[in-house]
Amino acid sequence: MSNPDQSQMRQDCPSQRECMEMLQMIVDGEASPDQKEQFFKHHLEECMPCFKNYHLEVAIRQLLKTKCASQAPQELVDSIKAKVSQNLAH
Amino acid sequence: MELEEAPKHHYSDNEKQKIFNNEFMPHINSMYNFAYRLTLDQDDSKDLVQDTYLKAYRFIDSFQQGTNAKAWLFRILKNSFINDYRKKSKEPSKVDYQEVESYYNSDEVDRQITPDLRVESLQDMIGDEISNALNSLDVDFRTVIILCDLEGFKYDEMAKILDIPIGTVRSRLHRARNLLKEKLSKYAKQMGYKNA
Repeated sequence: MSNPDQSQMRQDCPSQRECMEMLQMIVDGEASPDQKEQFFKHHLEECMPCFKNYHLEVAIRQLLKTKCASQAPQELVDSIKAKVSQNLAH
Repeated sequence: MELEEAPKHHYSDNEKQKIFNNEFMPHINSMYNFAYRLTLDQDDSKDLVQDTYLKAYRFIDSFQQGTNAKAWLFRILKNSFINDYRKKSKEPSKVDYQEVESYYNSDEVDRQITPDLRVESLQDMIGDEISNALNSLDVDFRTVIILCDLEGFKYDEMAKILDIPIGTVRSRLHRARNLLKEKLSKYAKQMGYKNA
């Protein structure tokens, strides 16, 4: 996405709720290429609230991915594998 | 991806071992994280993951090789959680979805969008803020955020994992994200006071 001239952007979105839904669909990978293009080219670069919301949604997801993942303890992995091999041996 | 369905296959022991190691075990970290975020307890989450994997092994003949093993496993884990763990957890009973749906369809939802949360304040959250914010959400809201934002499941996959319509997946996600943002703006405000 390009970096639009923020001083030229609209400060109020006339359809914030619909935009928020579209924006989340785009970030979730559920929007069609047409919907994406329409939104990016014809709305986002002109609309400050949606532009900000888009970047916020992306930033939250990045933060979730880096801060909320965890690794299974090795003892758990070993225990599951051992139980399954025991099962197979029967 | 139903466990209850009659077995579709009769895998040999060798095939079972292969499916288990190549298709099920690679998801162990995601499964553990999901279990931990559901139970919020390390011992419970280990038990839940182990139960789930043993169940998956027991019902491996209902699994179609090459299909979405991760979604299949997540669904078993979610069901085990509801049947075996949720009962014993102290968490008060759940949201009234009727209420959630009508909330979603009201205008209140738009007012609720928090305009004061900024990308810059998120970048200052280098500690446990986001994790605590996520954990503080009701378990059903937590779940959709984990499935979608952390694990990258599609809406239709989430609908199958959770046994709810796609429309409900979307509305629950929308609400969950608004709640998460509310929590994050509270943290951001607190940090603002500290840094001021």
